[in-house]
Amino acid sequence: MALIEIKGLTKDYGRGDREVRALRGVDLSVEAGEIFGVIGLSGAGKSTLIRCLNRLETPGSGTVTVDGRLLTGLNEAELRLARQEMGMIFQHFNLLSSRTVTGNVAFPMEIAGRGSGEIKPRVAELLDLVGLRDKAQVYPAQLSGGQKQRVGIARALANSPKILLCDEATSALDPQTTQSILALIQDIKERLGLTVVLITHEMRVITEICDRVAVMEDGLIVESGPVIEVFTRPRHPTTRAFVESVISREDSSRKWGYQPRGTLARILFIGPAAGEPVISRLVRLFKVEANILQGDIGHLQGQPFGVILIDLVGEPAARRQALDYLESLNLPVELLEGAA
Amino acid sequence: MFTTPNLLTMLWASSLDSLYMVSISIAVTILLGIPLGVVLVVTRPGHIMETVWLNKILGFVVNFTRSIPFLIFMVFIGPITKKMVGTSIGPTAVIVPLSLAAAMLMSRMAETSLLEVPTGLIEAAQAYGASKRQIIWHVLLPEARSGLILSATTLIITLIGFSAMAGAIGGGGLGDLAIRYGYQRYMPDVMWVCVLLLYVVVQAIQYTGEFLAKKFSRR
Ligand SMILES: Nc1ncnc2c1ncn2[C@@H]1O[C@H](COP(=O)(O)OP(=O)(O)OP(=O)(O)O)[C@@H](O)[C@H]1O
Ligand SMILES: [Mg+2]
Repeated sequence: MALIEIKGLTKDYGRGDREVRALRGVDLSVEAGEIFGVIGLSGAGKSTLIRCLNRLETPGSGTVTVDGRLLTGLNEAELRLARQEMGMIFQHFNLLSSRTVTGNVAFPMEIAGRGSGEIKPRVAELLDLVGLRDKAQVYPAQLSGGQKQRVGIARALANSPKILLCDEATSALDPQTTQSILALIQDIKERLGLTVVLITHEMRVITEICDRVAVMEDGLIVESGPVIEVFTRPRHPTTRAFVESVISREDSSRKWGYQPRGTLARILFIGPAAGEPVISRLVRLFKVEANILQGDIGHLQGQPFGVILIDLVGEPAARRQALDYLESLNLPVELLEGAA
Repeated sequence: MFTTPNLLTMLWASSLDSLYMVSISIAVTILLGIPLGVVLVVTRPGHIMETVWLNKILGFVVNFTRSIPFLIFMVFIGPITKKMVGTSIGPTAVIVPLSLAAAMLMSRMAETSLLEVPTGLIEAAQAYGASKRQIIWHVLLPEARSGLILSATTLIITLIGFSAMAGAIGGGGLGDLAIRYGYQRYMPDVMWVCVLLLYVVVQAIQYTGEFLAKKFSRR
């Protein structure tokens, strides 16, 4: 059984005319040790979903099972204990302004009733982990956004949880800081063997650290799977839009008035073949020329990933051979014009 | 100025009376007003101990009490005062209406400060498994500390004013002395000394309150 199992989860807000169906039957399972991302546009129900995971929000119907325990069936005291085994970080950090960094990190341990003999060394250890040892006695108001989120992470880890919930944890940060916070999350996940559930509206966050992703819309999960799969073969229009937010699939050759001479094809570079000199081989092996019109190669979870748009020029038979060759390498090809 | 030792003694006694009235009232006001403010906040709809009927009743009682002019209130609850402290005149008797009226005011001011605590902080505490009691003690009160100190400062100063007024109907204290001697017996010196004393005390309290509020403000 997966570490987190969600079945038929619904949640309504308000009544009558003002009723909002925030979740309309969500099924989801998160495996131990993975980073699971949930992406969706504003209002899709992401926050509601993640808040159901520690029952900050009481679901309407359906079940949430965490580590074999039915969360939806716990009484208040049991729920508080269960929550102490989950860490959570927030978009706006939610640090206590009246406490120092040390005080904030100690907070969940005080809540759990640990003694100061236990708390003190643990706080020092956590501050080392997030790289804020020198800020121990500083108040949150004197920290930058990135530093505040580091405190948030240290605080979330205080009671050594198995699960870390991240509600738009990087949405208030600039791209560079986002990067460093994501790297930190990835790092602590590896080191501590955490399971991470994160929600975001930024595809970049998903491609950066997630193993699997679920795309949410209107209270439903419309598509889910391993990030590479969802990313390379998006089926739902919303998913496509998100993918395009990272790698442009738009054909910009039109804009500068390029007239295709052969077959206009978009090749998705993914998997082992993406590291090979595919285009130059193509040209060498078959009697074709490849005019590269547009390209974007990056990486997705440590693997090369990209899209290039080429105009394949040559005899129709040679073009067809060339395209077959690409297919044989398992590189998805999309023909835009002048099908061979 | 004061050649008669009699007057000096009276001034001293009146000051002690004032101090007695005000300090006990302050203690009662804070011990009653802040918890009441907490209840007014946490029983609100959507808050950690939502109890709408209780919130409505308390809100009504507080507003009703606050809408009655203090002098009328003092007379109005005279019988209750007599039952509680055995007399309805003198400094001890003043403490009851004074504390009650001030506690109502304090509860509303505390409510305002407590409502300024961002809901995200309460949620974070809940997410870490904090109980309601822990949220009140570890989140709401410390986060609102600065605002609460400023409210209490304003309130203490108001209390001093109220206590001087209470003097007019047999409450004793500096206000009483100022009226009886300074005004009714045409001894402006006495009145001025009383006013000066009150002024010095009020200034000192205001300064201390602001200093503490600033010291505890970390936002
Ligand atoms: N407390 C609430 N009361 C009423 N409606 C709510 C409440 N919380 C959320 N909603 C509604 O539920 C729907 C889903 O909200 P939710 O916050 O889960 O979306 P989200 O995907 O997290 O969006 P965002 O990216 O803007 O944070 C929205 O239509 C929202 O208006
Ligand atoms: Mg949200």
